[in-house]
Amino acid sequence: MTRLQTVFDDVFLEPVKLSPQLTAKDVPEWTSLAHISLLLSVEKEFGIRFRVGEVEKMQNIGEFVDLILERLKEH
Amino acid sequence: MNSRAFLEELKALLLSRDGMFWARLAIATGQTTEFNQLFQLCSLRKKAHLYKVVSPGQPASTLRLAILGGYSVYPLHELVEHLCEVQRTPVELWLGDYDNYVSEIMDESSELYAFKPQIVLLLPAESRCKYSGRLTDPVATQQAEGTKTAESVLELACRVNEKTGAGVILTNFMLPARHDLGAYRNRTLGSDWMFRKWVNMELGLKAPSSIRICDVEFLASRMGNIQASDPRGWFETKQLGSPTMLVELAREVAHLIASLKRPPKKVLVLDLDNTLWGGVVADDGLEGIELGDTSARGEAFKAFQKYIVSLKQRGVLLAVCSKNDFNKAAEPFEKHPEMILRMSDIVNFKANWEPKSENIRRMATELNLGLDSFVFVDDNPAEIDIVRQFAPGVTTILLGPDPSEYVTQLQDCRLFEPGSITAEDVERTNQYRAEVERKALESSMTDMDSYLESLVMEGQISEFTTVDAPRLSQLINKSNQFNLTTRRRSEADVLAIMNDPEFVGFSVRLKDRFGDHGLISIVIGHVQGFNLEIDTWLMSCRVLKRQVEELVVNEFMRLAQIRGCTKVLGLYLPTPKNEMVRDLYTKMGFTLTVDQPDRREFERDVADFRATPTKIRITQKSYEQRRSNDQVANRF
Repeated sequence: MTRLQTVFDDVFLEPVKLSPQLTAKDVPEWTSLAHISLLLSVEKEFGIRFRVGEVEKMQNIGEFVDLILERLKEH
Repeated sequence: MNSRAFLEELKALLLSRDGMFWARLAIATGQTTEFNQLFQLCSLRKKAHLYKVVSPGQPASTLRLAILGGYSVYPLHELVEHLCEVQRTPVELWLGDYDNYVSEIMDESSELYAFKPQIVLLLPAESRCKYSGRLTDPVATQQAEGTKTAESVLELACRVNEKTGAGVILTNFMLPARHDLGAYRNRTLGSDWMFRKWVNMELGLKAPSSIRICDVEFLASRMGNIQASDPRGWFETKQLGSPTMLVELAREVAHLIASLKRPPKKVLVLDLDNTLWGGVVADDGLEGIELGDTSARGEAFKAFQKYIVSLKQRGVLLAVCSKNDFNKAAEPFEKHPEMILRMSDIVNFKANWEPKSENIRRMATELNLGLDSFVFVDDNPAEIDIVRQFAPGVTTILLGPDPSEYVTQLQDCRLFEPGSITAEDVERTNQYRAEVERKALESSMTDMDSYLESLVMEGQISEFTTVDAPRLSQLINKSNQFNLTTRRRSEADVLAIMNDPEFVGFSVRLKDRFGDHGLISIVIGHVQGFNLEIDTWLMSCRVLKRQVEELVVNEFMRLAQIRGCTKVLGLYLPTPKNEMVRDLYTKMGFTLTVDQPDRREFERDVADFRATPTKIRITQKSYEQRRSNDQVANRF
């Protein structure tokens, strides 16, 4: 979560306080451009690669963190 | 400056609402190739609008740009919008729906037409650029379908152009990055690889001038097709390529939009020392500068000059601006045999001790051109800086530390891309004409004589000179085939021969209407009493059977006569490689006197020798007093 927070801090100019319930709709800066940028940064930071279609199923940051942890386990 | 430091600086400027923000943003944007960094700059730009950071200078007028195609144009549009704004050609966007471009164009009541675009970016779907039949179908069938595919895309592009008057930027197709089909891939136009290549060629060659091709095939292959493709991005959000590919594409689109508004540069201003040649001519002398085929560095500088000449042929004017004594600076242009650039190529030659910014300003006045038509190239950062400060408007290029990259630096500078069709047409016509002439020549050759005549050959025969010494020694040491004695000699040996009255030596340079062959033959003769013995005779095989052989015999017979010799002795020393000249002397009218396995000797009387006529016009003979400096310059 802390590492994810740094990624968010890098991507967004305005500070975004991460919480499991947070969604893209809560962050005005979270545009389609920001979205791609965010995913690229997360993949780079954690050295993982998401599979096709998995990220769009995520409802909020909590689920996103679970997905990252799952992909990390594979290493 | 690294990207993080840049971001911090930009944030600070933004918060203090400093107008400098925009200039720094433009520089940072220019340096960025990564999607993420560009995204961050994009966000900063939007913030700056929110904070109302005022941009200095005239507000630029906005162009209406429509983007549509067989892909999702999000987030490509954000990148295009950002790049266009920072290059001061801001755009107002209309975005088509994913893969709805055909009906958007065909339906005249669509929003596309209501938007009244001035520029349309059309990205046709790769999924529709696929051969429908079998891999084994006849090539003609496959070719016809490819041509039809290209034509239907062009029809759409032309239609939107006719209906709106907008300039159309049309992307072509990326090539596959995977091994699929293996070696069979390029044996059929039915493979995606070949089919898309064919369609791309048809698009490029058949598009009318109102349509600019945005060469996605080139952009992707430049970065690597694997890097450029992104299947996940396609399945998830219908992206054309990977995020880095989108950055490249957006950059190209922005570049094409800018080039619609800005003409290419007209004048290339060149520094001399360590730009056109290695070293400093005033210190190292004409013999000391690095230029030409004797060293790797020399070759790189020569290649740079060749590329500059190619720019000249495209219509770019060349100028020189050097901190130098004029005569010293001009000397290589007039006398150095390996110089590609000559005085006649330079429209404005400034070599003096005034600041370069002043010189370029003067050039602008003299040529009646704006400073913004000039590009200045120098290896010295201090000179670049002076020009930037005191002749703003001039675009500067600081050459890197390695001359082998000079050409690539100019090739990638994107300042001399032909924009106007008319200028391009003229040049194309010329090239076309030359090519047609050459072809006609080859096919109309009925006999050797008229062929040689038509080449309009010019030969220049020169005694050995210190400037030539490295090249002489190099050729002496590497020629194997047309080499009668294969005696090797160092540069010092060559210099020694020059100063030894017992020896005569000369070299031949040849050029014809198709180009300069450079130094191609060398002879060294040893005067022994009444005999002139040909110690060395070698020639580059490129000019075989061009009558250089006859020309050389004429010349050494002439020298023999001048030196009071009655006989010329020829020598052939066989090696595994020089079989081709075994009978050269007898072919040239010499008599065989000694025939041993390891040595053949020949002779010929000087008294009854008559020079053989050749088709080579001789511009200079060896050991003849040069008449004046002007003529020297003309000969080279």
